[in-house]
Amino acid sequence: MYKCIFRRLTQGVVVLLVVSFLCFIIFQFFGDPVLTLAGRYATKAQQDAVRIKMGLDKPFYVQYFVFLKNALHGDFGLSYVAQTPVLGLILERLPASIELAISAMFIALTFGIGLGVLVSLNPRNFMSRIIMSGSLFGISLPTFLIGILLIMIFSVIFRILPTFGRGAVIKIAERWRTGIFTIDGLRHLILPAFTLGMYQMAVLLRLTRGGMLEVLREDYIRTAWAKGLSPRIVIFKHALKNALIPVVTMAGLQFGELIAFSIVTESIFQWPGAGNLLLTAVYETDHPVIVAYVMMTSIIILFLNLLVDILYGYINPKIRYE
Amino acid sequence: MKKFTSVMIFLLVILGLTLIIQTSEVAKAKDSINVAVGSPPQTMNPHGSDSDANLSVMANIFEGLLYRDIEGKLVPGLATSYERLDDLTWRFNLRQGVKFHNGNDFTWEDVKYTFLRLREPYPVSEFLSFGEMISSVEIVNGNPWIIDVKTKIPVPYFANNLHQVFIMDKESTESRSIGEIGEKPIGTGPYKFVEWVKGSYLKLTANENYWGKAPSIKNVEITPITEPSTRLAAIVTGQVDILQDVPVELFETAKSNPDIELITRPARRAIYLGLGNKPGSPTSDIRVRKAMYLAIDEDEIIEKVMFGHAFPAAQIPDEPTVGYDASIRRFNFDLERAKVLLAEAGYADGFKIKLTGPNDRYVRDAQICEAIAKQLAKVGIEVELDTKPKAVFFPEVDEHILDFYLIGWFDGTYDFGRSFTKLVHSVATGYGGLNGSGYSDATLDKLLEESEKIVSPEARAEKLRLLNRMAMEEKIAVIPLHYQEDAYAIYKGRGIEFTPRADTWILFREMSIK
Repeated sequence: MYKCIFRRLTQGVVVLLVVSFLCFIIFQFFGDPVLTLAGRYATKAQQDAVRIKMGLDKPFYVQYFVFLKNALHGDFGLSYVAQTPVLGLILERLPASIELAISAMFIALTFGIGLGVLVSLNPRNFMSRIIMSGSLFGISLPTFLIGILLIMIFSVIFRILPTFGRGAVIKIAERWRTGIFTIDGLRHLILPAFTLGMYQMAVLLRLTRGGMLEVLREDYIRTAWAKGLSPRIVIFKHALKNALIPVVTMAGLQFGELIAFSIVTESIFQWPGAGNLLLTAVYETDHPVIVAYVMMTSIIILFLNLLVDILYGYINPKIRYE
Repeated sequence: MKKFTSVMIFLLVILGLTLIIQTSEVAKAKDSINVAVGSPPQTMNPHGSDSDANLSVMANIFEGLLYRDIEGKLVPGLATSYERLDDLTWRFNLRQGVKFHNGNDFTWEDVKYTFLRLREPYPVSEFLSFGEMISSVEIVNGNPWIIDVKTKIPVPYFANNLHQVFIMDKESTESRSIGEIGEKPIGTGPYKFVEWVKGSYLKLTANENYWGKAPSIKNVEITPITEPSTRLAAIVTGQVDILQDVPVELFETAKSNPDIELITRPARRAIYLGLGNKPGSPTSDIRVRKAMYLAIDEDEIIEKVMFGHAFPAAQIPDEPTVGYDASIRRFNFDLERAKVLLAEAGYADGFKIKLTGPNDRYVRDAQICEAIAKQLAKVGIEVELDTKPKAVFFPEVDEHILDFYLIGWFDGTYDFGRSFTKLVHSVATGYGGLNGSGYSDATLDKLLEESEKIVSPEARAEKLRLLNRMAMEEKIAVIPLHYQEDAYAIYKGRGIEFTPRADTWILFREMSIK
């Protein structure tokens, strides 16, 4: 078990190195930050002076090693545009992204698994058919359309929920603000969380249903019913637990994606998360922010994958790591 | 099981109702205002960005030696008066009794420190090239309230730029880290910095020690909302009071909404087509240049592509700019005449040319390029379209490798001399940086260089008008298209008095609430 975790961690470090190196290669073809940094009126000589001072005249692999050296000391440099430390910029945005991702995941898990179980119990029921066709919308509608539709319906027509932003937040630490402890904050969370969670919800619903339908046909379930166990025990303990394995894998992988790729949802709702930061950084060729963001999300995804592997062992003791 | 489920459902319903029943209209204090902008402020370092989105915010916190009124006229700021002594020297009388937000007095040392800081390559300032032109800042006869600024070369537009070169406090700028300067601004302006949560909001509050007229709006919140439809939804629901950049695509939707009022004005930015004149190329023939101008139906572009939200342009500068000449007229759209001219030049069967343009920079930029390609096809000119992201497009402009390109421009210093230096003058040291096609004309170059040495502002303006007229009517150095339109939406319920500025800056001192 520990050996396995150790192996995964070393693999993770290699992945991080490769990912950050790729970033630096891509930056070569990504537009020249000095053009905007030195201002519209700068001459070639002035641009070169800036380039030399910032070390951008060096070959990209040299820049990469300088970056690595600093990163090992916890210094990711200054953002070109904001001229403030990159790590601070990202850490300030990350709580908003994580909050949104957790809420979206919570919605996806409760409704996805809940409805999935419901549907699998009465697959031919009218209600089940409606839920199943509804889930198709969740999978096929693009996120920005869902977001704008939700704003249209709940904010503009019915005027019951706010259109953008995070609402009232409470400051927990220097760069850490949260909205989940205020009513205003929660109201602001509802629409973006549903928008972000919609796709995952639909996927989890279909996965749960499929797994459950298969498991419910097994002999041991028939035995359990025959023994006269209560429906709750049969459905949740015997059936659902065994149907959950693919669901957990999927949920774990998707959670990382929810944090890393919530860019669309974040920009529709002007949610001040890290995805929003990445988008502006890309527009402004702010390389230090981009590379730090990519590394941060890689770490999160690697960590979640590890967590999923460990969770397997607990859900299904048949899977053991040697 | 049943009981547990029903309790949970009950709780969820209660929670949902409490969240929803809260009225969405948050009661607002009478003297506070919330503005939604399209692009977020990038930094709180006043020299860190020369984009108008950033300068607009900075101009509330900081002040320059001079100030622009709503129409762009230069008026006193931290300097009470100024004069150009000779072609290299500018004299300023400084305002006394001004304090920075941290309590420090404003002195000539701060001016000197600010001006010399501009030219440092790092921490880089976007006013680098302006800073490089300054050679010294000294007091006159030992009087600390009169200073002489000398430039290395004649900079006729020096004073014209001072409304956007914001004065920083020497003591607190030297003692703080770059990161802190970029997050917590200290200026002399009518508003003090309160809090900046990046991506969410920037809060400012009125400076009670401001030397000028006390602003009537006390608390200010600037909210960036990048997605256009969300921005519109935010003002329709009254979550923000003023909205900058109403997208042209949503203009009619916004107009039909009874809760908001739309205010528009012609923008300063002109969109035009740059056209190279390399010897031997078809476009080096003035008849071909004129034919292309005549073949472009600008009215159709404004009506069909811009949905009516643009104003035809006959030149690059706008009215308040030094060098603007009201007598310049557009050549009227005339297909027949264009065909005749092309035939005379030996291109009766047309020719091929590549039109390059950005697709994410100006209002409907790529669509304008498409329309131009279709219009030029009618006189036989086959246009190959090449529209691309601005991050790719502008470096190409910088390398002067384009033949035919769409670009937009307005001059932050309100000086056509400076624009011309960058946009049309032949590529040389300090000249032609944004001359994307390497256009070159010796007569025009000479006129501009002569204008740089004229000390009298009137005589220089006359020279620039001559240059402008010649470039537009005789040489067709560029083909002007239109000025964009600035559109703002105001939430009606709150009685906000707001007049949009020529430079699109949102200055809260100029607003009030009835």
